[in-house]
Amino acid sequence: MNLAALALLALVFGLLFFDYATMRGRARRMLLVEAVVFTGGAFFIALPDVATRIAHAVGIGRGVDFILYPLVIWLVRESLVNRRRRWEADERLTQLVRAQAMAGARELGPR
Amino acid sequence: MLAAAPMPIAILMPAYDEPGRLADTLGGVRAGAAALGGVTLFLVDDGSDPPIDPAVLPSPTPAFRLVLARHALNLGQGAALETARQLALREPAFAAYVTMDADGQHRIEDVAALVQAIEAGADVALGDRFGGDSNVPAARRALIHAARLFERTLTGLRLSDAHNGFRAFSRGALAQVQIRENRMAHATEITRQLSRTRQGERLSLVEIPVSVRYTRETLAKGQRSLGAFAVLRDLFYRYLFEE
Repeated sequence: MNLAALALLALVFGLLFFDYATMRGRARRMLLVEAVVFTGGAFFIALPDVATRIAHAVGIGRGVDFILYPLVIWLVRESLVNRRRRWEADERLTQLVRAQAMAGARELGPR
Repeated sequence: MLAAAPMPIAILMPAYDEPGRLADTLGGVRAGAAALGGVTLFLVDDGSDPPIDPAVLPSPTPAFRLVLARHALNLGQGAALETARQLALREPAFAAYVTMDADGQHRIEDVAALVQAIEAGADVALGDRFGGDSNVPAARRALIHAARLFERTLTGLRLSDAHNGFRAFSRGALAQVQIRENRMAHATEITRQLSRTRQGERLSLVEIPVSVRYTRETLAKGQRSLGAFAVLRDLFYRYLFEE
């Protein structure tokens, strides 16, 4: 295993540890999913030949491409979906704030 | 419950964190209200911190009504303007509806010309700061010209000014122009809506010279060049996500 692979593994498990330490007790199921996905990622980092063999089996040249292609597609979709959710949430928040402002609107009297 | 007796002119004014200038701006409106035949000012505090204190605002007079609403959160100038629009539309009709900034850049003296254009039959009167005696700084002038070209491409409208918040609407026109862009993209959104035809008819537009007064404070708070990217981003997101 080369130095880059070791650095990546340190990053993966460092992030996992950080998330566990800061979110423990609040998002246990999310942390479990994260741990499973990160462990899968760590497996392919530690044993890149496995990814390459699978890639060859499905007609892709490099193991890293086998991982990256679907990952990039998924991340782009995730980014758009999240952006849309936030945009819709902002719209609803605007309606709520406006309704409250209009209900509380008042004409100022003489002082 | 708001009082029902309308004044001839409604002024729609969003305000955010304008503790010093707001009272002066409103004082100017109140001073000029009688000459205009009466003004109802719809002031929307867009989540200022601290909130606008009604005690520091000018008292109403027979010619000057003041309706105050407050957003619990800062949403943006477009959102505050839309709240003011909806507040004004739920009252009996005014002769004209004028949008003005709270920072004192717009002069109450120019309101009469905008209103006259509406009374003469225009649906919308857009303030043209280049036609009046405005002290527009060179950098701002360049930015506005770029916005003009952008809006001309987008809407086909050949206007002398862009993103000037000093405008007047008839009631019918105001009812049509719904503002959905919360932040600064609302100016382009308004222009786009004005350029569209409804049932084969387009709203009639005129440009009226107005004098906009820039100061160091208003320039520090106003739109910056980088804000142009935020406008493009907001327009793009609406294009992407709106049904």
